[in-house]
Amino acid sequence: MATLLLEGGRLLDPATGRDGLFDLLVVDGKVAEVRDRSRRTASKGRARAVPQGARQIDVTGRIVCPGFVDMHVHLRDPGQEHKEVIETGTRAAAAGGFTSVACMPNTEPRNDTLAVTEYVVAEARRKGAVNVFPIGCISKGSAGEELAEIGDMVRAGAVAVSDDGQPVSNSYLMRMALEYTRIFGIPVIDHCEDPSLSAGGVMNEGYAATLLGLRGMPPAAESIAVARDLALAAMTGGRLHLAHVSTRLSLEEIRRARRQGVQATCEVTPHHLVLTEQAVVESQYDPNTKMNPPLRSEEDRQALLDGLQDGTIDAIASDHAPHHADEKLLEFDAAAFGIVGLETAVPLVMDRLVRAGIIDMKRMVELMAVNPARILGLEKGTLREGADADITVLDPDQVRTVDASRFESRSRNTPFGGWRLRGWPVLTIVGGRIAHEAKPGARR
Amino acid sequence: MNETVIDRNAAPGRRPARPGRTEAPPVSRERVAASTAAAPAPSPRDVPAGPLAAFPRRHLLGIQGLIRGEIDLILDTARAFAEVSRRSIKKVPTLRGKTIVNLFMEPSTRTRSSFEIAEKRLSADTLNFSLSGSSVSKGETLVDTARNLEAMAPDMIVIRHRAAGASHLLARHCRSNIINAGDGSHEHPTQALLDAYTIREKKGRLDGLRVAIVGDLMHSRVLRSNLFLLRTMGADIQVCGPPTLVPIGLERLGAVVHTRIESALEGADVIMMLRIQRERQQGGAFPSAREYFNLFGLTRERVRLARKDAIIMHPGPMNRGVEIDSAVADGPESVILEQVSNGVSVRMAVLYLLAGGTLGDLAA
Repeated sequence: MATLLLEGGRLLDPATGRDGLFDLLVVDGKVAEVRDRSRRTASKGRARAVPQGARQIDVTGRIVCPGFVDMHVHLRDPGQEHKEVIETGTRAAAAGGFTSVACMPNTEPRNDTLAVTEYVVAEARRKGAVNVFPIGCISKGSAGEELAEIGDMVRAGAVAVSDDGQPVSNSYLMRMALEYTRIFGIPVIDHCEDPSLSAGGVMNEGYAATLLGLRGMPPAAESIAVARDLALAAMTGGRLHLAHVSTRLSLEEIRRARRQGVQATCEVTPHHLVLTEQAVVESQYDPNTKMNPPLRSEEDRQALLDGLQDGTIDAIASDHAPHHADEKLLEFDAAAFGIVGLETAVPLVMDRLVRAGIIDMKRMVELMAVNPARILGLEKGTLREGADADITVLDPDQVRTVDASRFESRSRNTPFGGWRLRGWPVLTIVGGRIAHEAKPGARR
Repeated sequence: MNETVIDRNAAPGRRPARPGRTEAPPVSRERVAASTAAAPAPSPRDVPAGPLAAFPRRHLLGIQGLIRGEIDLILDTARAFAEVSRRSIKKVPTLRGKTIVNLFMEPSTRTRSSFEIAEKRLSADTLNFSLSGSSVSKGETLVDTARNLEAMAPDMIVIRHRAAGASHLLARHCRSNIINAGDGSHEHPTQALLDAYTIREKKGRLDGLRVAIVGDLMHSRVLRSNLFLLRTMGADIQVCGPPTLVPIGLERLGAVVHTRIESALEGADVIMMLRIQRERQQGGAFPSAREYFNLFGLTRERVRLARKDAIIMHPGPMNRGVEIDSAVADGPESVILEQVSNGVSVRMAVLYLLAGGTLGDLAA
């Protein structure tokens, strides 16, 4: 396998505490050596040897991070190949700076058996541009009635379970899931929603929904389910992870539970961090502003930003939800929920959060690499010597306009088309192999 | 006295602040709120001040965003057209050679007939396309339906649809002038215009009038269009309905919200009753039609709380004995049938103005 030498970049690896000018040598898919450039000049001003056949890559001015992990994506494969397949979804991940993705089980058939998990793992091995970690169903068919064969799926490679897309309405089943998964030490990921409160809703309940005459989903529909799950986590000692948290109320529940010692983690999406329900109003019913959980109020958005800063939020995940254009070229009520996110997550976070001074680069790496890897129990999220050479290289100064027509993803359902953003992923290395490299000249 | 100053804090029956239902406070911190690039479709930016000669928009998707001059222009034009309906030969050649499609994807009798009569009195060729007998039942999407109709080169499309924003979708994907004839719970602009026309004919003005609107506020597109219009025209708006059917933020639209009909009706110049829309409700918003009538029905006794010369309106179709007592609906204060007559004139005006007509040409 090729040998790579990344020279001149700023290495940012929170796990080892390294933040500075280091060169990174990759041999046989692993991080072989991390060389401190400040010491190089001290040691007789002579660079250490470049191994024979190594490809030297100049990453001066770039930031070299442990590979980003998107812990919440929908690859739609098997069964919904018109939206996405593992090949295109992982290419989108690579282009977006992710070296690993965890894919939700709401495929057709659902990933609720060993066979489907094995298919996902095998297909990813054949065609995947990045590492793919399947998430199995909590319940058979995600019907919310009885547990799926979780042990089988874990044996085939599942790293978590979730009925994402559907909330787990039955509290007894949720309890069983949290207890049963203790055998495997994997998290139970819940999409928190009380459907009796949100039924028929297509956007956040509030003034914007009133103006547009659309049915709302109240923030409490989410926070009630969050509170229930936290109570069950406290009772069972199971590992709870709350997907795409979007409201102030939910964060308050999480803080309260943590003060009482409950172990639970949560993620938030880039779109909930940068958009509000006002986007539905301003876009005049653009179905690319329709997702679940819905875009919330400015107050909720501010609360999420606070949660990023104070550590309440553990991870940023895209909830990449590809849909065919036909499924969005409809009345707002009839359009599918969800947007693609793999190719916009990193630049949105770089531009709207890091550049805006809300979080720093180190926190970004924690939210997008270190923590998602830890939550899913992956041996990823660090560039210490001997670790897998999964590397995300960012150019903090690159300015580009989001152009959905050039996405690697098979779908284009994004509300961010035309946004000019500063800070893009330029090089994605997975297991020592270059999975994506921004074309030269893209830097402006 | 008509109190036109709306003091939100002193408003009786105002929804109490509850966590999760309160509006976001103004942003104090310097964080850039991002939003999608597209601007709202109706933008009054390019509209000149003062009396307007022509209507400056291609579509009529809603009242929101219209300025006073535009509303006045439509109402004045409607007045000029009212005369046509009083003739023995009720037809003018104004829109001869124009083709108008009435795309009604939701049951409607009144609005559709009204548009059709208005179109015929303007000599336009009309095509009625309704839910039954269309290819919608064969799974065709709205955009495809509209594009297929457009291939036959119509000039205007009048659309009624059960989904909010359906007319905006057409405006994005069609070349024709689009008129919203009711989109879900969003807007019904020509209804608000004919309501305003009726009030103006009866009261001579809209400015400063106290208008009480009672009923299912949550699902009513008539309410939303009327709120936008009445606020722009300077009316004092009191609204009332069961709290289970009051959407969030009506106060921000200039309305005082009541939970008791009595306080809402007090001193009203205009009483507007809204239909209880069983078909849009999820159920459970009130226990029974009987109890609804007891609490919110417009009875003769309650009418006495309003001003002596108050008029009573209803957009129809009425649920007699649910939101309104027949004695009131058929009583001397009722202008419900006049609303229907005026609907034709207002729709003639809208069609005429969107086709590029001017009030000056009409007078000449």
